[in-house]
Amino acid sequence: MGGERLIDDPLSVITLVPLAMGLILMILPRVLPNSSAEGLIQVSRNISMGVALAIATMTTMLFLGQVGSIDWTNITQGGYVLQNEAVDLIPAIGVTWKVGADALSFPMIWLTAILIPISMLVEWDAKRGHLFFPLLLVMEGALLGVFVVLDLFVFYVFWELTLIPMFLLILLWGGEDRRYAAMKFFIYTFTASVFMLIGILVMYFHTETIAGLGSLSGHHFDLVAMTAQENLIPSEGLRHFVWLLLLIGFATKMPSVPVHTWLPDAHVQAPTAGSMLLAGVMLKMGAYGFLRISVTVFPESTIVFVPLLIFLGMVSLVYGAWVCMGQTNLKRMVAYSSVSHMGLIFLGIATMQPLGFAGALFMMFAHGIISPLLFAVAGAFKHHYHTLEIGSMRGIAHHSPWLAAHMMLGWMASLGLPLLAGFVAEIAILIAFWMTYGWLVLLPALTLIVTAAYYLNSMQRTIFESNDPEQGILPDTLHGEDPSDLTWHENAGMLTLAAMTALFGIMPFIFWDMMSNWSSGFVIDTMIEAMQTQEWSP
Amino acid sequence: MSSMISDMDSATTQLILPELLMLGGILAMILVPNFGNATMRIPLTSIQIPILFGGTRFATTNNPKLPNQIAMTTLALAFMTSLLFLGEEGEVGNSLHVDEFSRIFTLVFTAALLLASLATTARLPARPKASAPLDTDSIASSDAKVNALIDNRRQVDFHILLLTTGLGMSLMAMATNLFMLFVCLELASMSSYILVAFHKETDVGGEAGTKYFIVGSVVSAIGIYGMSLLYLWNGSLDMADLAASWDAMEGMDPLATIGVGLMLVAFGFKVGAAPFHLAVPDAYAGASSPVAGVLATASKAMGFVALIRILLVVTMPSTGQAFWFLTLAIVAVVTMTWGNLAALTSDNPKRVLAYSSVAHAGYMLAAIAAIGSGLADSDMSTLIVTAVVFHLVVLVLFKLGAFLILSMLEAEGKGHKMEDLHGLGRRDPVIAASMFVFMLSLAGVPPLSGFLSKLLMINGIVNVSAGTSSASAATALSWAQGVDPVFWLAVAIVLNSALSLFYYLRIGLVMFFEPPVTDSPLKRTPSLRMAIIACAVLTLLFGIGPLSNSLLDMVGSAVDSFMGS
Repeated sequence: MGGERLIDDPLSVITLVPLAMGLILMILPRVLPNSSAEGLIQVSRNISMGVALAIATMTTMLFLGQVGSIDWTNITQGGYVLQNEAVDLIPAIGVTWKVGADALSFPMIWLTAILIPISMLVEWDAKRGHLFFPLLLVMEGALLGVFVVLDLFVFYVFWELTLIPMFLLILLWGGEDRRYAAMKFFIYTFTASVFMLIGILVMYFHTETIAGLGSLSGHHFDLVAMTAQENLIPSEGLRHFVWLLLLIGFATKMPSVPVHTWLPDAHVQAPTAGSMLLAGVMLKMGAYGFLRISVTVFPESTIVFVPLLIFLGMVSLVYGAWVCMGQTNLKRMVAYSSVSHMGLIFLGIATMQPLGFAGALFMMFAHGIISPLLFAVAGAFKHHYHTLEIGSMRGIAHHSPWLAAHMMLGWMASLGLPLLAGFVAEIAILIAFWMTYGWLVLLPALTLIVTAAYYLNSMQRTIFESNDPEQGILPDTLHGEDPSDLTWHENAGMLTLAAMTALFGIMPFIFWDMMSNWSSGFVIDTMIEAMQTQEWSP
Repeated sequence: MSSMISDMDSATTQLILPELLMLGGILAMILVPNFGNATMRIPLTSIQIPILFGGTRFATTNNPKLPNQIAMTTLALAFMTSLLFLGEEGEVGNSLHVDEFSRIFTLVFTAALLLASLATTARLPARPKASAPLDTDSIASSDAKVNALIDNRRQVDFHILLLTTGLGMSLMAMATNLFMLFVCLELASMSSYILVAFHKETDVGGEAGTKYFIVGSVVSAIGIYGMSLLYLWNGSLDMADLAASWDAMEGMDPLATIGVGLMLVAFGFKVGAAPFHLAVPDAYAGASSPVAGVLATASKAMGFVALIRILLVVTMPSTGQAFWFLTLAIVAVVTMTWGNLAALTSDNPKRVLAYSSVAHAGYMLAAIAAIGSGLADSDMSTLIVTAVVFHLVVLVLFKLGAFLILSMLEAEGKGHKMEDLHGLGRRDPVIAASMFVFMLSLAGVPPLSGFLSKLLMINGIVNVSAGTSSASAATALSWAQGVDPVFWLAVAIVLNSALSLFYYLRIGLVMFFEPPVTDSPLKRTPSLRMAIIACAVLTLLFGIGPLSNSLLDMVGSAVDSFMGS
């Protein structure tokens, strides 16, 4: 790619470069003889970090308008920016390499680009680093691919591709029960995505030929053209069926109750960086796909299934929070709180209000900063205290003040403390929910308050209280050793995340304007019309 | 035959060059090891020219790997010449017609056999220092020497049989006369029966070969009986004649219908269609893996050529439903379901692959059945045949590739239990990753070529049934009631593919999850490794990107030339 192309098509660059670099870094040591292990790890780590930082910088510059000079706040549905000229991949069946970003995908792209270097930093001393860091780069490419492509075939390929690095991360760097967790993770998400693929294929078979695409099959996978095609699937029954097939794929990834059971296992066993990316970005793939494909292409079906969305959202929210309170394992607890927060996204969409949509989008983003912070804390806790049982510990603040500070901040943010990122999303969704469904809002609101009270209590005990002001209670797994505080790199990663949590809590408008503008445009243009056809009113 | 050889001009030679090469290879295989070391000095110089005949035999050519090298060279040359002269078209005699369609299949056959002979290098024992026993030897050492000689002799047998299989298949693909078609089919089949039984060191080898031979012969007899009925009906076995008579036929002539039906039994056995597939898993499990791979790819492709010719050239009416539509559709659905269910419960990876091969035959039969529904226009039929042929082409990569990996395990006496695959990911990550790719491609996961071919088949069936249901159906159920039955073939393929994921993933995942039985790395066989990696890479490249497109173009134009004629 020449210099000019690079500027013209930044989204392809940020997707393909990490993929290629990751693969090269993984293969190269096998080809090069006599490279010493220690040196290899350092070189591999530094190059990976360099690539990841370069991509983070590039994405940030895109956002600030220094590259491409885009007016991010005025993007409406269908108005993709940074589009490339479609490259034919399999013209016979209408597959193209087509990328673009909008207010739905860009926050996710930026989030991914930022989280990768942070998770590298947090696990700076990972074992087998010559594989670990390149694998994270591959992961970055796959994740970015999901968010940038506008062709459903390629979307599906990236969707599945994200499984492989995550699967390997859990399998090679995971905890005791990693085999079971990796297997469960793979089988759940893979099986679910087969349903999604069938849904995509039904959509595919209803597309009409457009110039030059699908010369053999007569159909194409172009999402933009599918969205634009009037009445993609004429039969209403079939449309609903496809919508449900897609929902299975997306809901499992999000994950929503009842298909959430892979998540706690995967999180507990995954290495810290794996957990951070899993919670921070991979779960958002489900919500992103749901909004991008299900809601955008089939708004009428979405309206019809609003009761289902409310049901799934409520159950996830309440059940997730309820189970979360019963957990003693720190990572499991965070995992269930993720289930709970993802439920809020469904509720936000179900409001059919611009505010609710924007709240759901902001929730995707805010949870993408907060949950990695929580998993970084959990990973550091495991690292320094050799346990994840929170009940076994009293008075962390005394031994590890930095760890305690980050833990506290992470929990506050997760509970929705004002001036932190999570609050903005929660309050937006709750207000929108109230506007549409009135006092039904009490159920999610009270759940949030009750769980907040519970956590505050349990955090207070774990972090501050101690029977003996000198010692506190230390877990048995330390075997009498003194626990240490965070290492510099863990601290640096967490500080960045903490700073972002505060930044987007105090100044949510950085992304909020873009999201809310997109949401109002979307609701007014697409959803209102669908509501009228379905004669739906809240 | 003699007249054919005498009027052979250079154009004809060029047309059947790959077959001539294979014939030459067979002759060379017989002659070369027998060459002597006699030389002749050019008068007045000191240059010695070997004259090969005379002198001490075996002195220069006692390399037991020689047959293997000859076979590989021959097959590689045949492959390249067919690729080179792909566009050539013409008649040879009056029973062979060479066109792109038949050449595509020659490519499939030679590629499959080439890979098989490559894998055999590491499998059949070859004794470089074998010598005849002397009178002074003890009984034990004389037995050992005789056994070594026999081992070397078997090298020749095996590779000659590989080449005759290739020759039979390749000629069969271009036959336009049913008689010719059957003779070539038998040449290939007979050779493959012996190849299956060749693994005689194990108990199952001989049994599998016998079973395969007996069932195969009975089925061939049935096919020949059907052919004789057709001859009785028409007076000629030329396919163009038969097609013309079929078109002119009023109603259904029982003689013709029964004749065709009986022939379908024979070809159904070749492709492994239910209920004639029962010998398939035994044969695959008993044969050595490279041979099983040939059966699953080349032999199956051969059966499909015959099926396509009988069903689409001879008995496809110009309008309306073909008489075999319902039968074939039912057979297809039963075949794929049976294959997948049996594979799910199998614990021997070779049997799993065998049953998966049965299931794949079901997918392809379903696609062909959709043409018989009579709803397909010529574009749709071309699309479906292209999909089937494309599937047969890429199957060589990922089906045979998987068998090659099992062959590596077999070389250390394993490969018959699922446990033998355990921990392969730790023992050899590259090979395990290739196996994973093959399994995903067999299951039909994008962007691998197995998905592309399956998508095209489903696409063909869906296109055939498109527009048969009302667009305003309010529920999915009422929509489903309105759609033409042919649509359910597509649903059957999709559901079966979903079902098949479980056993493919099982093979894919045990390699990474289960602890290995031993930690020793696999036997070093660099050329086989390269072949496997090449298969894995091509499986991806033929699934997405420019290479897949050019292959599709190639297959598409071949099918055009076939369907147009």
